Amino acid sequence: MTKPQLDTTGMPVVGVLVRRTWQKHLLTFLMVFGPGLIVMEADNDAGAVSTYMQAGGQYGMHLLWTLVVLLPICYFVQEMVARLGIATGKGHAAMIYERFGKWWGRFSLIDLLIVNFLTLVTEFAAISLALSALGVGPWIAVPVSALALILMVVTGSYLRWERIVIALCLLDLTWFGLAYVVHPDWAAVGADTMLPTMPEGGITGSLVFLVIAVVGTTIAPWQLFFQQSCVAEKRLRFADLKWARLDTLIGAVFTVAVAGAMMLVGNYGYQHHIVFEDPAQLALALGPIAGTFVRNGVLLLMVNAAVLGTTAISLASAWAYGEVKGWEHSLHKKVWEAPGFYATYIVCVAAAAAIVLIPRMPLQLVIISVQVFAGLILPSAIIFLQLLLNDRELLGERWVNRPWNNAINWTIIVVLFALSLLLAAQVMLPNLFN
Amino acid sequence: MATMQNSFDPQYYCVIHPLDDAPEEKCSTEGLGQIAMTPTVRLSLKVLRGYLILMSIMLLYHVLDLAGIVHQLR
Repeated sequence: MTKPQLDTTGMPVVGVLVRRTWQKHLLTFLMVFGPGLIVMEADNDAGAVSTYMQAGGQYGMHLLWTLVVLLPICYFVQEMVARLGIATGKGHAAMIYERFGKWWGRFSLIDLLIVNFLTLVTEFAAISLALSALGVGPWIAVPVSALALILMVVTGSYLRWERIVIALCLLDLTWFGLAYVVHPDWAAVGADTMLPTMPEGGITGSLVFLVIAVVGTTIAPWQLFFQQSCVAEKRLRFADLKWARLDTLIGAVFTVAVAGAMMLVGNYGYQHHIVFEDPAQLALALGPIAGTFVRNGVLLLMVNAAVLGTTAISLASAWAYGEVKGWEHSLHKKVWEAPGFYATYIVCVAAAAAIVLIPRMPLQLVIISVQVFAGLILPSAIIFLQLLLNDRELLGERWVNRPWNNAINWTIIVVLFALSLLLAAQVMLPNLFN
Repeated sequence: MATMQNSFDPQYYCVIHPLDDAPEEKCSTEGLGQIAMTPTVRLSLKVLRGYLILMSIMLLYHVLDLAGIVHQLR
């Protein structure tokens, strides 16, 4: 391979020469690869670690099947986001503003900023919990993490940020090692993954609440905004769509597999009758039984999950706010070239970190509430996506949803509405499922 | 373009990173205004409004209940 300077359309373009067709495809894919994996794996954030491990800790492997159901949902939703981003070159917030007017634009933006901010609080709470368990006090762990997260983005290079974040995503491969070390019954894993089974006690309010929390944590509203902005930031071209789809599919499969590994580690706690409120407590309890690899692995991966979640969610907020405000909103810009964009990111990170340092925050309540709240807000974000993907005036026939796309997406919306209504029923009639 | 053939040597492909490539014309909202209010769009937005109002009330109740505030008010 060589790196020539070509003059194609009157402007110098840097390319890489390859001889074989498969090399061309592989290299193009590697160049496009990133947003799909990042958006999916960043969704396995601290709240997700907590929710999946709670699912394993309370119900063993009985909820593994939910992940199989969520895999195609994740993919189909994010594929539409990638398609819209490539077709328009703009973020989701900007599209809602331009096509649905200021009221819906502000509603979506404010919703997004609130949910994102609450979620950021949970991320820093997780960093504080995990590093405290490793002997690092919160007054060191939280400010240092916040500073590192800010330094990650202020370099003025999207690619540098992307490479760092992909490396962090790949660290999550360690979850498979942890799942292997706790020796689950693999035949039971296969059975519970493929066939839903009823846990002891049947359908209870707690079970319904946890299933909705799993849905809410696996498909979050910020993902729609993040990936579309990320695709626009990376300037993906029409011809890149098939590779962006593959990127998204790989991300979805990887994320669901990692989530399954988290449930298996939680299941180990279930088998040993360990009662826990957060993954850090479980990790400490598992230490004497499963060894220091599991103990420290869970704690460090919890920090990694929180870091991934924080950078992606803060960027989703900063991109969305910058688009709507009409500011420069790009990681390609230096700090002084896009001050509003970077200030939004920094304020989100710093304020969430500061809140976590307030003593006696009810953290587990915040974590679960955020997951459920996100699950409730998600249907609105998906409806806008669905309507935009049927906007022939904007997209033309080439990019709009095909009838089968619409059938799948309306089904997803109905399922999400139904789960939300189940939660409503549980709230209004708490004894319904008991 | 994602790839192009090198005119000097047709046996080679030139793969260009999206960030290094020439910008392409995207689907633009310029001059379009707001989305056409088809029956599907109108119905979707109405359902969404009702849903959000209902859910916000439910969620508030649930969070207050979990925090023990509803019990105190009773």
